[in-house]
Amino acid sequence: MSAPLITVQQAYKSFGTVRVLEAVDLTIKAHSIVGLVGPSGSGKSTLLRCIQGLDTLDAGGVTCRGKVGFMFQDFQLFPHMTVLQNILYAPRLKEKGAALEQRAQKVLEQLKISAKSSVFPMHLSGGQKQRVALARCLMGQPDILLCDEPTSGLDIVTTTEVVSLLQSVCALGVTMVLASHDLEFLAQIATRVVFLKEGHVVADEEPCDTSSLKERYTTIFSHKE
Amino acid sequence: MEEFFSDCVYVGRGISFTLQLLTGGFFLGITFGTVLAILRHNGICTPFVKGFVSLVRGTPLMLQMSLLYFAVLPLLNIPMEVLSTGILSFGMNSAAYVAEILRGGIESLPKGQFEAAQTLGIPRFYMWRDIILPQVVRNIFPTLINEIIALLKETALISVIGGMDIMRASQMLSAEQFSYFTPLCIAGGYYYILVLLIEKIGRKFERASHHRPAGL
Repeated sequence: MSAPLITVQQAYKSFGTVRVLEAVDLTIKAHSIVGLVGPSGSGKSTLLRCIQGLDTLDAGGVTCRGKVGFMFQDFQLFPHMTVLQNILYAPRLKEKGAALEQRAQKVLEQLKISAKSSVFPMHLSGGQKQRVALARCLMGQPDILLCDEPTSGLDIVTTTEVVSLLQSVCALGVTMVLASHDLEFLAQIATRVVFLKEGHVVADEEPCDTSSLKERYTTIFSHKE
Repeated sequence: MEEFFSDCVYVGRGISFTLQLLTGGFFLGITFGTVLAILRHNGICTPFVKGFVSLVRGTPLMLQMSLLYFAVLPLLNIPMEVLSTGILSFGMNSAAYVAEILRGGIESLPKGQFEAAQTLGIPRFYMWRDIILPQVVRNIFPTLINEIIALLKETALISVIGGMDIMRASQMLSAEQFSYFTPLCIAGGYYYILVLLIEKIGRKFERASHHRPAGL
């Protein structure tokens, strides 16, 4: 059995007096798509940020075997650069040449965004920005892709497109961790769902269909006085 | 009329000096100001940066220039021309203001832009040069143009240490003619034309920067 790609051990994180992660243990195997669910403030985004290294844990540890890519909820494309410049800027600092340009074109074609390569982000729709953000991550050839709310603000049609896009990315051998509120989306894509409540992992299971996932969610997170 | 034109030519002799002072002072100011703003953002030498900005903004430019030219440089036995002293004083003074303008611009950018650069593995130097500063400069451009205009008008203070700028030329002409009205009006006209030119060039750059992608 291969070693896990991501290991989180006894992770603790607080912001001031607010404890956001508490004794979180998580192992993620290669080629899986893991959904992190929970209400706002349950620690999903913080866990992703700690895995990426954007935030540091107060205690515990995170180990990632392989390159990590991070897709922000609000994409964070560079507004003064075109789509092509956005996806080429970082890789060009490490390698040059026609092969890189070809790879960029290929990624843009795969994500069906090549027609927009010379457009600035402000002229793109939410779904198109999503694709560019994904393309930018893929240009770094990550082994692990962390996505924070990948479907927030997207309509149903675009969400379905994102599902197939992420599935195609997973088919390339990329392991994904998705923090999302969108249970329908996760039911379609995730191979495993981790429920976070007030910074704790309270359930970790395989999703069935949307309705049973919603039912499970309600059972776990309903407030019983 | 002929006399008026010869007066214009006389006062106009100071334009070149004024422009040298302005460009030198501004480029020194923007360079040093950028360094100060980045240092402060990264929490490096913060007390020094804060102290420098506070001191420079808290004392008159004329005093800073006089102190440098008449006291500090002679004490240190460093010979320096009027123009170089002027550029140094104007540059340091402008740096303090530019640093604060840039700080505002940097803080107004979403934190995610820094984080996106970090997650993509972009080294800090490139992040500042190609990701952060182009966006900041675009946002603060009108304020920077204001700073250049303010600096242009402040160059008139160079006459205190004997620089032959527009103001000084008009004062010399006034002393020759025992009449202040025409020379001072001519000087005012020159300053106003220069300000209009700066505004025009600034607007052109501003428009261009909104259409031009950042260089790769």
